[in-house]
Amino acid sequence: MNNSFNFNRFWLLVKRQWLEFGKIYLISLLVVVGVLILFYAWNLPEPEAEKGYRYNSEGFLYLSFRIPLFLTLGFIFISVIASGYFSLLGQKPKAIIELMTPASTLEKWLCSIFYTGIFSVFSFLLVFYITDLAFVKYIDKTIGTITFSWTSGVHPTPKTGIVSARTFFNDFFEHDEIKSMVVVPFMITSIFLLGSVYFNRFHYIKTAVVVMLFLTALIYTLIQTANWMTRDKMQDSANFGFSSAHNEFFIYAMVGITAVTVFLWCVTFFRVKEKEV
Amino acid sequence: MITINNLNFGYSKHNLLFKDMSMQLSAGHIYGLLGKNGAGKSSLLKNIAGLVYAQSGSLKVMGFDPAKREPELLADICFIPEEFYLPSIKIDAYIKANAPFYKKFDYAYLNVLLEEFNIPISNKLVNMSYGQKKKFIIAFGLATQAKLVIMDEPTNGLDIPSKAQFRKVMASALTDDRCIVISTHQVRDLDNLIDTVIMLDESTISLKASIEEITQKLTFKKMKELDETVIYAEPALSGYNVVVPNFHQEDSKMDIELLFNAVIAEKKKLKPIFN
Repeated sequence: MNNSFNFNRFWLLVKRQWLEFGKIYLISLLVVVGVLILFYAWNLPEPEAEKGYRYNSEGFLYLSFRIPLFLTLGFIFISVIASGYFSLLGQKPKAIIELMTPASTLEKWLCSIFYTGIFSVFSFLLVFYITDLAFVKYIDKTIGTITFSWTSGVHPTPKTGIVSARTFFNDFFEHDEIKSMVVVPFMITSIFLLGSVYFNRFHYIKTAVVVMLFLTALIYTLIQTANWMTRDKMQDSANFGFSSAHNEFFIYAMVGITAVTVFLWCVTFFRVKEKEV
Repeated sequence: MITINNLNFGYSKHNLLFKDMSMQLSAGHIYGLLGKNGAGKSSLLKNIAGLVYAQSGSLKVMGFDPAKREPELLADICFIPEEFYLPSIKIDAYIKANAPFYKKFDYAYLNVLLEEFNIPISNKLVNMSYGQKKKFIIAFGLATQAKLVIMDEPTNGLDIPSKAQFRKVMASALTDDRCIVISTHQVRDLDNLIDTVIMLDESTISLKASIEEITQKLTFKKMKELDETVIYAEPALSGYNVVVPNFHQEDSKMDIELLFNAVIAEKKKLKPIFN
């Protein structure tokens, strides 16, 4: 018997975890769907009020509520799911049953990453995409016959068109900067997953507080260090010395975020391995 | 089956619960682990199951280090904790999700045990009483066919008929390749069930002996007046219940509660008898 990893055992564990985790997950997902529908319905453009529409530079209807909704709801959903995964290890009766389940620590850890880092993130994206697509189709169908005019460019020239909306992901991912941030959700889940195994109670609050304190300390240190390094020195360029010809900054950011995510996942593995009841 | 050598364990480094504990437990026995509150019964069981880590010393279970929590060993350990949690699902769903982890799981035996304990398989776990849940978890654990069965206060929460059912089931569950360790402070519940007594007191094992050895070396009887041979005595109706050395190879039934109190109170007198 392979005591480190066995695919059959891993699959059994995924199915077993679903019994407990699935309920919380499905309820949370239902709440997400409800909130999405509510927000879209509330912010739907009305045909009678077409003068109040906002358009982007390409003439598509600008649904400004979508970005904060996507970011806020997405953060809450994936962090809550990740924060709840190992929370049972903080309760002795539950922890004993979990730790005595005949699966290796590696399998239990991979299962946690599957549910929190992959399943929850992609299910949120799917739910958001489907809801958004449905409403975009609805908008196109109900108010797509209205003509309008807009101006764009350095030398504005009035143009006319038909009201049309693009799906959120078409809008959101058209910028390279955003594309490089696709690893951020995995980092968020890795932080809250570690919090769920590190703390015995109030996992979410405690993790959030620790992250806030850490970020405050980090930002303060960076600002102080930068001030100290540049004190009494002359500024030699308008962009404060930062020059990025090929979005190098975003590549570094992506690599950095990935490294932090992998590091936090590894720490989680050892916390699960060393967990005592 | 279980080999413990010079085990040192404590929840803090300066306050050890076990100091240089050594012991061997073999298959084919039902061990009764007894001790006062806080003596470390549950902690010893958790060490054996790999739920806590010792500071030093070695502990091997079927050749494995339990601290590594390897699936092969976990599949051969049935651990019934004092406090446990069962998800709010139906019994059959629980079995479907958990039984496949145990290659030797005996579904027919589980049904027999559930019938014995009067637990319908269609029941939802969350709707069952504490006693029923305990009986279910015991039945499931025994059906895994694990070679090592560890039970921490298994009779807590069981009513009187259920305790009798429990003793019957456990007696029939013992096989030559199975080792059963039961920890309890309700020593009467283990009457006629255990074949070896292990008593923990003051960070160490104060007694480890089979019932046969105990009754060969000690006699449990009633006396009207105490004499100098008495190791330990408790006042009873019209006299005393006493523990005396068995000088004349008398047959007596071991009074487990009396023995327990004798070991706690007269450790120095009993130690030379069992060494």
